[in-house]
Amino acid sequence: MTSLLEVSGATVRKGERALLEDVSLRVAPGDFVAVVGPNGAGKTTLMRVALGLQRPDAGRVTLNGRDVGALSPRERAAFLAWLPQRVQVSEPITALEHVAAARYRFTESHRRSEEAALVALARVQAEPLASRPITELSGGEQQRVAVAALLAQEAPLVLLDEPANFLDPAQQLELYALVGQMWRSGLGVLCITHDINVLAHAMRAGSEGRIRVLGLSKGRVAFESHYDAPDLGEHLGRVFSVRMRGVEVENRRVFVGMSLERGE
Amino acid sequence: MRTRLVVMLAVCALVVAVAPFIGPPMPPHARDFILWQLRIPRTLMALVVGGTLSLVGAVYQSLFSNPLAAPSTIGTTAGATLGALVAIVLGARAAMWGLPLITAAAFAGALGVSLLVAAIAAGRNVRMNDLVLAGIAFSMAAGAISTGVQFSADSAELLTAMRWTMGHLPQVGYQNIVMLLPIAAVSVVGLLTLTRALEVFISGEEHAESQGVNVRAVRMASIGLGALGVAGCVAWCGPIAFVELIVPHIVRRVLGVSRRVLLPCSVVVGASFLVLCDAVARIIFPGKETPVGLVTAALGTPLLIYLVARKPS
Repeated sequence: MTSLLEVSGATVRKGERALLEDVSLRVAPGDFVAVVGPNGAGKTTLMRVALGLQRPDAGRVTLNGRDVGALSPRERAAFLAWLPQRVQVSEPITALEHVAAARYRFTESHRRSEEAALVALARVQAEPLASRPITELSGGEQQRVAVAALLAQEAPLVLLDEPANFLDPAQQLELYALVGQMWRSGLGVLCITHDINVLAHAMRAGSEGRIRVLGLSKGRVAFESHYDAPDLGEHLGRVFSVRMRGVEVENRRVFVGMSLERGE
Repeated sequence: MRTRLVVMLAVCALVVAVAPFIGPPMPPHARDFILWQLRIPRTLMALVVGGTLSLVGAVYQSLFSNPLAAPSTIGTTAGATLGALVAIVLGARAAMWGLPLITAAAFAGALGVSLLVAAIAAGRNVRMNDLVLAGIAFSMAAGAISTGVQFSADSAELLTAMRWTMGHLPQVGYQNIVMLLPIAAVSVVGLLTLTRALEVFISGEEHAESQGVNVRAVRMASIGLGALGVAGCVAWCGPIAFVELIVPHIVRRVLGVSRRVLLPCSVVVGASFLVLCDAVARIIFPGKETPVGLVTAALGTPLLIYLVARKPS
């Protein structure tokens, strides 16, 4: 059974304004789809639509051919896991409890949930954090625990919503290395970001062509490309209203933005 | 952690076992009657009411992610007060199906107002703060009508009404406990089955939904079951102050925030806390029916403040 997330022609309106217009994408296990675009381009709306948290006004979202809205939350959780921008817990529960709670979709004993949570924490090298209150961890540690929760849910597809937004460079690098590990272990990744360069940390040399990049601008799909496409810089530049050039640094392709005015 | 749990449970058991013997000395010839017909039924009532109220408080605090949430937040108390007032003005001595009219009316009022809020909670795009707001609005509306009813009451009725709102453990026989018990049991058992979902709620509603929790169903079930239990308690005892607020916070401070500890322990600690308060009420004004609501606040507040002010270990 393959798990396929398909968004076709999704449109979301808020009053007169279209937050999302006729957006389509598909993510299967093993895929890496990066959705890039400036703030306000509709990235988060797209994610909420894909998660079934928001119903599109037009178009469809299906998981394995079944409408997302028709699935129970439990069924949906078996396909899709979500990593928000930051962990927001209302109480100082321990990291272990936080990860164990992600096992909600399984009918199993508490002991079994905790065992699975420990395994997930070990996979992100966060076992020493297990008994620490999550509110006392640093931002980077919190996101590592959140990734463990993502793994504990055992969904074949993961949606990442700017997961490195509040992290410093070292933590960003570490987080995206984990994302790369998840991808290589066979999960399908849909990653929303306004910083394309973080993706460089997720890939190994040679896998650039397998990362699909979808540019969003004003709610519409502006371009669809791959990370190694020669013209990706131009596409990105147009979406972000800057000039962008791809440059090689230590065998990795990164993109540098420059102001439009001082063009050659 | 485990030691703390054992100590806390032992203290609770001790309180409950000793409580019926606390109070003015019992004359030998009336000893059996006082113990078996007065004190033990009251202790049982305190157990049921204290446990239910505390659990509902703990559940609401988890559900609303708000440490100040309580049954009064969603209008339960205001509804009960309105019902009781109407019954008092109409004639408190009347009875329906063997129930005093005040009890029946308070129950209907409490459940009525809370179910209105639960109905709003069923909406798709409703946020938790909207519910708190709706609860406050309904409370104010019920309060306004209550004031109107009070305005038309005479002074004897007003005194009865005032006594009622202080919260008391009535001198009830076993029959009333048997009537309240199924209501409380449905509420407590039902709410405890939601523990796992409420654990997931800690990291936010949308996140919980993405992890497989049917947020709307959990919201409605929590509010509905909570309102049922509180309506039952308030119907017999009036609004007993602070139990539902203080007990979960005490448990949280001593045993931690983990839902699977907090919720069941709130039942146990709440039950024995109210038993203790009832025993204390017997001592401070011997021979008088001291409203237990007075003691819960007087005893619970310093304890809570001590726990809050103490530096976390």
